[in-house]
Amino acid sequence: MNESIGISRFPYEETYRRYLDGLLTNNRQECRECFEQWLAASPDLRSVYEDLVRRSLYEVGELWEKGKISVATEHMATAISESLLDLTYPRLFAQPRNGKSAIVTCVANEYHQIGGRMVADIFELKGWRGYFIGANRPLAELKEMIQGKNPKVVAFSLATVLNLNRLLLTIEAIREAFPEVPILVGGQALRWLKPCQVEIRPGVKAVKNLSELEAWIDSETTKNHV
Amino acid sequence: MFKDSSITEALSSYVAETAQMLALRLDASLNVTEINVQAQKLLGTDIVGRPMVEQIVDFMPRVDLPALIQGGMAQRLTMNTASGMPESVDFCFFPLPDGALVLGSFDFQEQKKLREEMLQLNGELNNLTRQLHQANAELRDLNQLKNQFLGMAAHDLRAPVGLIINYSEFVLDEAGKQLSEEHREFLQICLNAAEDMQRLIESFLDFSVIESGQLKLQLEAASISEILEGVGPIARMLAGKKKISLLMETIEGARPLQVDALKIQQLLVNLINNAVQHSQPGQSVWVSARSEPKQAVFSVRDEGQGLTPEDQAQLFQPFGRAGTKKTAGERSIGLGLAIARKVIIAHGGRIWVESVPGQGATFIFSIPAPEQTQSEAAL
Repeated sequence: MNESIGISRFPYEETYRRYLDGLLTNNRQECRECFEQWLAASPDLRSVYEDLVRRSLYEVGELWEKGKISVATEHMATAISESLLDLTYPRLFAQPRNGKSAIVTCVANEYHQIGGRMVADIFELKGWRGYFIGANRPLAELKEMIQGKNPKVVAFSLATVLNLNRLLLTIEAIREAFPEVPILVGGQALRWLKPCQVEIRPGVKAVKNLSELEAWIDSETTKNHV
Repeated sequence: MFKDSSITEALSSYVAETAQMLALRLDASLNVTEINVQAQKLLGTDIVGRPMVEQIVDFMPRVDLPALIQGGMAQRLTMNTASGMPESVDFCFFPLPDGALVLGSFDFQEQKKLREEMLQLNGELNNLTRQLHQANAELRDLNQLKNQFLGMAAHDLRAPVGLIINYSEFVLDEAGKQLSEEHREFLQICLNAAEDMQRLIESFLDFSVIESGQLKLQLEAASISEILEGVGPIARMLAGKKKISLLMETIEGARPLQVDALKIQQLLVNLINNAVQHSQPGQSVWVSARSEPKQAVFSVRDEGQGLTPEDQAQLFQPFGRAGTKKTAGERSIGLGLAIARKVIIAHGGRIWVESVPGQGATFIFSIPAPEQTQSEAAL
């Protein structure tokens, strides 16, 4: 795009469409250009996460559910989005910290980890340290990290309902080892679950969407300010 | 198998357009004349009109295509593909009166497995990149905290150490004659130690200021002669104390430099002091400054022990002291050259050392000269 990028003149919708087309045609270069332009135009990083990445991934997911794109295209779109998130990091991690931290993880067998990673990034956006442990890491690693980082919360991302039992077992193990640490559960799978199906112990809370998560972070940030 | 020609036609159409298999028609010279849709996707359309053998990745033993066709055999071959990545295809060869039909099955399941593995690796790589960014951010925070601590500690130590120096000097000057020789010596040791500590504190303060990005240069016009004249007295005093000959020379340029003269002079004094500390009485230290068209180059040379390449590599790092010993046991904390490097970089120049073990060392730094104006250039 040759026109100069200004906050008010930036063609968000057009850029979004180009980005989505790039995702659906595996055109990583086009996606990268759109992502960089959006990043340069947005003083608030949140817009990149909300209006570009999350929106496009939801749309890709819907197209897959309706059988309009193959699973390979859906996987590639996720992989492209995930790698482009790296471009936000110089800004994301340079933000002032409030001394609080969260550990975000996916349960074993979850291959859709981008949701969890974005949750960890949202903690960073809110001034927390958001540590992310990717999918398929052993429980011992998670416990070790909780021990070492002493987080204010542990958050689980559950992408598919099939892994609910595995999640519940992990929650039990964490609750036993760290009775005081609050646990949040979110992710796409919660669309098909009732909160009581994951809130199996005191201190475990289901979070339906990113807005609920942000509200929770905001209330915890002001409470017990470090 | 099927007698009905419409079924044969349907099969032919299926193989040509839909089936997850490759189909290639070869002429008598084994050139590719037709390919189906899957073959187009995998191998590209450029293959049409070219010998099939050119598309085969040539491992040993060499593929004998005519033999495979004549024998109506099956063979796994590795093919060059349109994506540039070779792929293995299981081929069956059927001889025809005017050439051959080649059918191939491609392991799409394997592709799926590979794709999933790649995605998982991609995810792991992304996580590592994220961890790296995060760890860097945490290190930056810790470094900033360290610099703040260093600055605050050094600042708070400066006043009491200054008092110790002042009162020690006062007592030595005013009441020194009333003290015994031994007590004067003790007091002098206290004074020397306090002066060492003061230099250390000043270095910490300089370093913390530079590291926290607060280094501010007071740029002014100064000729290289003026810069060297400013360091002359203290340099001669340092050299004289240790009976070292100090030789200074300048080759002045047409235009003065734009520098923070005080900082450059401090830097030169540090380099001269280092040279003196690494020299034996009777040896010489040379200080030179010359103007070149695009830069001014300063150097300080000694005849000391010199530096090994390993020492040279870490010399300009904080606390990166060389393995060589100072000739009179002088103390150093290893910050002087790290500070010098930062000051020179802030001026847009560079600093380096040239040395051969046993043959002394030359510390050199350059500072860019101001650009000539058009009228000056015309002269």
